[in-house]
Amino acid sequence: MEVEIDYDNIDVASIMDQVKKVAASRPPEPDREEPDSPAAPSGYPPPAGGGPPAGPPPSGPPGFKQKLKAKALKAMAPFFPVIRLFALPLHEELKALTRELDTTNRRLDTRFDGLAMTADDRFKDLDRAMEYIKLLHTLSHSLIVEVTKLRIELDGLKSKARILEKDMESADRRERALETRLLQ
Amino acid sequence: MTVAFVVQRYGLAINGGAELHCRWVAEHMARHWPVEVLTSCAYDYITWANHYPAGEETINGVRVRRFPVSHPRNPEKFGRLQSEILGREHREKDELAWLEEEGPTSPALLRHIMAREKEYDYFVFFSYRYWHSFHGIKAVPRKSILVPTAERDEAIGLKIFKDLFRMPRAYIYNSEEERAMIQTLSRNEGVPGLVVGVGIEVPAESSGERFREKHGLRGPYLIYLGRIDRNKGCHKLFDYFLRFKADTGSDVKLVLIGNSILPIPAHPDIVPLGFQPEQDKFDGLAGAELLVMPSFYESLSMVMLEAWALGRPVLANARCDVLQGQCRRSNGGLYYDDYPQFREALRLLLGSPRLREALGENGRRYFAANYTWDIIERKYLDLVGRLEGRS
Repeated sequence: MEVEIDYDNIDVASIMDQVKKVAASRPPEPDREEPDSPAAPSGYPPPAGGGPPAGPPPSGPPGFKQKLKAKALKAMAPFFPVIRLFALPLHEELKALTRELDTTNRRLDTRFDGLAMTADDRFKDLDRAMEYIKLLHTLSHSLIVEVTKLRIELDGLKSKARILEKDMESADRRERALETRLLQ
Repeated sequence: MTVAFVVQRYGLAINGGAELHCRWVAEHMARHWPVEVLTSCAYDYITWANHYPAGEETINGVRVRRFPVSHPRNPEKFGRLQSEILGREHREKDELAWLEEEGPTSPALLRHIMAREKEYDYFVFFSYRYWHSFHGIKAVPRKSILVPTAERDEAIGLKIFKDLFRMPRAYIYNSEEERAMIQTLSRNEGVPGLVVGVGIEVPAESSGERFREKHGLRGPYLIYLGRIDRNKGCHKLFDYFLRFKADTGSDVKLVLIGNSILPIPAHPDIVPLGFQPEQDKFDGLAGAELLVMPSFYESLSMVMLEAWALGRPVLANARCDVLQGQCRRSNGGLYYDDYPQFREALRLLLGSPRLREALGENGRRYFAANYTWDIIERKYLDLVGRLEGRS
């Protein structure tokens, strides 16, 4: 797969899309990421075997030294799980876990931008909704104030009507009294 | 109009990113406004121990007022506090305790800002994460302009900064990505801000041949400029470069310019040259096939701008969104996520002089359109003009 480039109108984004495709089309390599610290030297075999750690291969015919070594290994056998726990296996597991965390971390980093953009949109929606809520709140408040004012005005008008009624009654009475006087 | 630039350290011998950025901007803006720099007496950014005498001095025509640091940082205590607040549930007072230890703690500087507020029209604070910016912006929020120089590190997510990011009167960002990150974290879209960055001065002439002769280099080489540090992704660069050599049999070399705090693999094609003068740095860039930039955390890559100023293409770490964004906006470089992409991108670049030339030319145009000092100065003037209601 070749990368096609329009040299008159260079577009880095388009070149990089092609570069990524080329990189992805190559066979994957074994993980060769540089470790954070040099690996600790160890003479123990991998933990999967389950048996006691093997020493270096015998250099001569079996004799007293090898018998002694075999007995020593047999005597130490109950302690091998502890030795493995404190030496190699835990270290290997930690290294594997660290590598896994590192990979996950990178994946999270790459997702971060997308998520940030999505979150950004959601925040904008949220902000808009909050503005609407604020407007509705203001509207409700204004309505309550207006209704209260109208109620007060109504009460005032009722009082005025009552006063006018009494004035009318009083005027009627006066009218009748004046009429009586005039007729007399 | 008098403008104060407030920064954690200041001096000709200080080459830290934000500090150098501040010095260059202050020196250039001194042509337009009366400018003062308010800073601490510190030189060492690990302990902030007082080094320079307190008081006034003039550096390259700019008046500098230094204030003593009340207590130096205890790196052990700081490390412990940092791992606690970044790794565990905590309260706001823990974050404030971390900030006290982060420093440079200078109550005298803060007192000066509060007492003389009326003498300055604006305070330009550099680097959001230090004591001087946090307390300074809270003291004079309506006159403060923040240049955050923020990277995508964990500290930016602290609660105290979320509130802080809503306080300044305006922002000067280094990149689009930095602005997007801060706005996403703090929802401070209402605060005016401009993406400005920093200008670069390029020597009148630079010669790759002179560099090759001086250092006995033959054949094509990539160049890395900056501190050789794990935080800058150099360990990955060494790994990828050596794997690339093994996979492709290429004769390309990797030239490193900068102080090293990381063991450099002993390989004949990795050439560490240590710290070099500016002219040698630009000569090295001029002679390189491309600049490689493996850093994971940047708010703006000045060396990428320098490479583009000389028309050299770059190969950058795509895991840093700022670097990737710079490459995409300029069309001046390629980027990689992992080793297979590094291998293919580098193979493509080394195999095509025409592509290198086209990317370099795009980079040169991008630099000329955005990062010459005339443009940077104009953007600062425009922003202040907007704040003053002049535009």
